[in-house]
Amino acid sequence: MRLQLRFVAPPLLLVTALAAGPARAAENPTQASLRLTYFGEPSNDDAPVRVIHPQVDVSAPVGGGVGVAAGWEADAVSGATPAIFGPHTGVDAVTGATHFSDFRQQVHGGLSYDRADGGISASYAYGWEHDYRSHSLSATTHDDLYDHNFTLALSYSHNWDSVCDANNDAAPGLLELQPLTSSQHCFTSSPDVVTRRLRIDAIEPSLSWTMTPRLVVQGGGTIEILDGFQSNPYRRVKIGPEGAIPQEHEPDYRQRYAVFGRAAYAYPQWRASAQVMGRLYQDSWAVQAVTGDLLVNKYLGQSMLLTLRGRYHLQGGASFYRNGQEYVTLGPPGQYWTGDRELSPMSNTLVGGRMAFLRRPQQERSSWFVEMEADIKYEFLMYHLESVNAPNSDRPYAHILQGAFSVRF
Amino acid sequence: MLYRCISRLRLILVVVVALATLGSGGCAASKWTVRPHQRELLADRIMQLDAEPQERAAEDHILSNREGAVGGNGTSGGGCGCN
Repeated sequence: MRLQLRFVAPPLLLVTALAAGPARAAENPTQASLRLTYFGEPSNDDAPVRVIHPQVDVSAPVGGGVGVAAGWEADAVSGATPAIFGPHTGVDAVTGATHFSDFRQQVHGGLSYDRADGGISASYAYGWEHDYRSHSLSATTHDDLYDHNFTLALSYSHNWDSVCDANNDAAPGLLELQPLTSSQHCFTSSPDVVTRRLRIDAIEPSLSWTMTPRLVVQGGGTIEILDGFQSNPYRRVKIGPEGAIPQEHEPDYRQRYAVFGRAAYAYPQWRASAQVMGRLYQDSWAVQAVTGDLLVNKYLGQSMLLTLRGRYHLQGGASFYRNGQEYVTLGPPGQYWTGDRELSPMSNTLVGGRMAFLRRPQQERSSWFVEMEADIKYEFLMYHLESVNAPNSDRPYAHILQGAFSVRF
Repeated sequence: MLYRCISRLRLILVVVVALATLGSGGCAASKWTVRPHQRELLADRIMQLDAEPQERAAEDHILSNREGAVGGNGTSGGGCGCN
């Protein structure tokens, strides 16, 4: 059963990140990284949602400014979630949850070409699970301007996704839409399922500016257009006093916009730095959001780096969102209905810290590696929902634990 | 379909204008350039806005499933929005 998963384009993220650093090295070394993330979201009512997310990435220069990169990642997901979104309390309360587990994988590879004052990268990713397949192509270009004081970057990606859904061709109306009950027949010729498409285009320009010897700032934005099936095919929503429970029904088209600003400031007297980020978001489903992030980095001794972090996110709900009780008493505001927490008005707070252990040889020529690093990170994520009848109100917080090892040589 | 095409063209135009504006801002700011010998602090990893792209990819993977907002921080892509 497909839950908790969303395909993103890590290759694009990786090349964008490499492009964005105004003080990056002229030639990136060979690098191998292994990371393991555990996400646990306890439930007050049932089994917790657990996600184990391993990642492996390697990249290497092959000469002439050309580099190659490849990677693999996976999600092993298990837990329990209500199959029907409805009131959490009261006479109309929906009880019981469906237990699920799934395994998703993604592989990606890419090429890059870097000059002293710019570069270009392209990558491809393929992700698959029982009921979802995704092909993604992405490209990034970046140029340094004015003695490397500015870096202008532009990224673009396109996804060709396929989503398994129940065959509702015979449904007489939207209130009779039936959910997908199993992924067993997905991507076969079985008449009880159909494959729906989802196309995603995303473009992200950014400009980095080295303002002073202590201060780097960056600004940019994202435009993302999604066209295709975006509902959770398994979820049903309880609607109206008669108790209809059709499949979740979200619009097929969505435009998403975000603008952001970031800054990093050095405190050399403390061997520390502070980084701040602010983001504004709006989309064509009427979701509006603001996000703030603060990071403090501090070296401890010669080989340890401590990072403390706080993040706050506040958003409004989608135009067609109502909580579980309102959907029953008022009905949906139109032809769409959802039980998705991320479309509800809410906020969340994330706090945590990371400790990195760095090892560099005193004389690089005498060692086979340039740098080794081991990280461990813990973060606590708290949700603040607008109502007890909001989606996933039984899961008020989550733990994120991560370990990583990387070597550059 | 026509409306979508027009919308996409309009978005591309906005991006081009924004980039041109940002570029011209760079010309005006060139007198504040930081010289190579002044970049010692900036070269440190704690001053890199994306020092750990793999870590950020993992975080975006988690948060993009739990928030209605995406993008604006290097993320791209999308998906079903399940759960």
